[in-house]
Amino acid sequence: MGAHGLQGDAPREAAQQNRSVAFFGDLFGMILWPVHRLIWADPQRRARKLLEFAEVEASGGRDLVRAAELTHDPVLRARYLVHARDEARHADMFQARGRALRKDAAGEAKEGLADWMAPGERGMEGLDMSREKDADLLAFLHLSESAAARDFARYARVIDKDPATRILFQRILHDEDEHKSYTHGELRRIAPRRTRRILWWARLRRLWKAYLRFATALAGVIAGVALTLQFFLLLPPFAWMAKRNAKREKPGWVTVDERAAR
Amino acid sequence: MKILGISGHYHDSAAALVIDGMPVAAVQEERLSRHKNDAGFPLAAIEWCLDHAGLSPDDLDAVIFYEKPTLKFDRVLTGMLQGWPGSWRSYPKAMKNMLGEKLWVRGLIASQLGIGTRRVHCIEHHQSHAAAAFLTAPTQEAAIITADGVGEWATLTVGTGTKRADGSSEIRMLRELRFPHSLGLFYSAVTAYLGFAVNEGEYKVMGLASYGQPTRIDDMRRLLRPTADGAFTLDLAFFDFLGKVESGFSDRFVALFGPPRKRWQPIDLRSEQGRRFADIAASAQALLEEVMVGIATDLQRETGMRDLCLGGGVALNGVANARILREAGFARLFVPSAPGDAGCALGAALYADRIMFGQPHKPVPDHPFWGPKPDEATLLRIAQEDGIPAARSEQVIEEVADALAADKIVGWVDGALEYGPRALGHRSILAAPHYVAMRDRLNRDIKYREEFRPFAPVVAAEHADRFFELPPGGARLARFMSGVVPVRPEWQSRLAGITHVDGTARVQVLERDMEPRLHALLEAYGRRSGVPVLLNTSFNLAGEPIVNTVSEAYSTFRRCGIDLLVAGNVCVTKPRVVRAQILENVA
Repeated sequence: MGAHGLQGDAPREAAQQNRSVAFFGDLFGMILWPVHRLIWADPQRRARKLLEFAEVEASGGRDLVRAAELTHDPVLRARYLVHARDEARHADMFQARGRALRKDAAGEAKEGLADWMAPGERGMEGLDMSREKDADLLAFLHLSESAAARDFARYARVIDKDPATRILFQRILHDEDEHKSYTHGELRRIAPRRTRRILWWARLRRLWKAYLRFATALAGVIAGVALTLQFFLLLPPFAWMAKRNAKREKPGWVTVDERAAR
Repeated sequence: MKILGISGHYHDSAAALVIDGMPVAAVQEERLSRHKNDAGFPLAAIEWCLDHAGLSPDDLDAVIFYEKPTLKFDRVLTGMLQGWPGSWRSYPKAMKNMLGEKLWVRGLIASQLGIGTRRVHCIEHHQSHAAAAFLTAPTQEAAIITADGVGEWATLTVGTGTKRADGSSEIRMLRELRFPHSLGLFYSAVTAYLGFAVNEGEYKVMGLASYGQPTRIDDMRRLLRPTADGAFTLDLAFFDFLGKVESGFSDRFVALFGPPRKRWQPIDLRSEQGRRFADIAASAQALLEEVMVGIATDLQRETGMRDLCLGGGVALNGVANARILREAGFARLFVPSAPGDAGCALGAALYADRIMFGQPHKPVPDHPFWGPKPDEATLLRIAQEDGIPAARSEQVIEEVADALAADKIVGWVDGALEYGPRALGHRSILAAPHYVAMRDRLNRDIKYREEFRPFAPVVAAEHADRFFELPPGGARLARFMSGVVPVRPEWQSRLAGITHVDGTARVQVLERDMEPRLHALLEAYGRRSGVPVLLNTSFNLAGEPIVNTVSEAYSTFRRCGIDLLVAGNVCVTKPRVVRAQILENVA
């Protein structure tokens, strides 16, 4: 853990604290195992996901830089900058592998990616760094890194026919474990008596954010269905009129007088 | 009167404050939120503007939004109807977008600021652009052209502006082109086709164009055809502004030009495909220039005016600007430091002051420095906390000139932040301009960007003609780095770091009165090297906005190959040993 590694027992304690949370994460992972396997089997899809992960890591790195700029704690500033460098390196690694897979695999990939596949950090889930206290941010980072580590371990397990990608995940997983460990250590340093409470509060916040994501997505689907119905049921006569008017418009300049007449 | 201008909800949100006819503060939201091209409601920018002037929202006489949401909704809905049934995929998204927030912007502003809606007004998007271009320019009378992707309905407008002796001002629009016939959207579709991000990567297309030949210009002319009245029309079969909002080009476009570039695919200019992309970029650029020059020439003949003010995102195209200046018959061309949507915040506030409320015109200070100032004491503290050598110096100009002459790369933070996309000497990375190796080092160690993108020079105004072939009026155009001009052939080898492949450079011609310290640095560097020119690129890393505070400058300095960071009189040096330690000391 380096210069401030007080924290000989920190990883073990963190692991104990996370055990119950990890259990549900693992259970969830086991349920989704066949889905993951199916998704990662296709090289084009794998490439697309790795490129998407690269963006998530790069975004997370930028957020960490922001955290480094805002903190008044010199130790955290140094840690965040190193962490940010790691995230940027991960982004490069994901991107390089994604590009290589694209080159190797035949055919063109379809665009788009399901958001739920993004690794644990999700680019810090839209946290406003300027409003986060150091302890809250560390707790959030710790949990995010734990989730990311779980996700990457899961992905590494299902990719058995692509050793290069599996090794990539394993290498990044090693860094994520380091990040998990330092964030917990630093949290214990700056809030020794409130570590557990802050971590649970961060868990609740993550849960709330997950709920908001789900609710927003659901609301989006409902609104999309309603608007699509409206599009096909209510708009046709107006569409006919709009098309008729469009045909009457002359190409080129519209003068001030013509504009006023419209 | 105290008037706050706001732009936002599309890209490049910003706020600007005008008090008694004079700008006192203007800043883009991205510089404060640190999200590049932040399109959100510019709350941080508003807060900063008000804090800077010591005002509360209640003190404001008016708040002006830079476009009319109802007109915009009209255009979006009409477009969806005209595209029926093909627009069925984009309709829900567009409606959620408009009905969710954008349509109710007056109420949103009123509630965010805690003021009554009667004090919130909206003006048209291209009026904001026109005001930003004309009311900030040191001219009494000018023709005005605004061109961008799309505002409400207008995509390109022409008109005139007058500032009379009695203090009154007028901006008169003569005619406009309407959506979907848009020069900006045409260029953005090509940008997307070439695999760059729309509203961000357009300048990459311009850089790439220099590597190609306009061999596909006849194909481009099938996309964008002239009309009998001197305007143009887009052949919509080649575009898909409704179905593929993110890209804008259709399958027929692809059938004509071949497979588009994928975002992650590198451009190898030695390969056949790389050359194809470069030729397509060159063709689109040539056609855009041709159209802009044609419209400007017609306007000059029609109005007989000597000055032209250019606004809108298309005015960021420095190659086209320089051609307009050379060929359209105008003596001077004014492009503001922020011709894009961010600049509309200031434009809207000035429009309201001069034209809506009839306040007398006052000359606007001719500089782009309206943002927050750095705090050099903070830089000193942070560097000392981290054990990085830092010190105040009264000889900072001479020391920096020495460092530049020794091929060091300098992060330069000085005075109020620029308003607009260009680093014009207050948040710049400076380096010696002489060698290609320096350009490559900047690309590799600092900017992490494509090799085909050039770096810009800054030159002291007194020496500009010696190094660059400035057309008449060129120094004015280059004040805010708005024009691309040839580097004189005899200097190209000594200015290889800033000379683009076609022998040009997007130069900033710096007058002493606009930025005395950078001017002094140029002179000091000139005494050492014989060439008072520096490479000047924006102080940011790829994917990040230009730095604002010294903390942001410092974190950028720590993460890349900048050797020396300067804020005011504080110099922070990065020793080689520390550079290695920085990355590893806590690992």
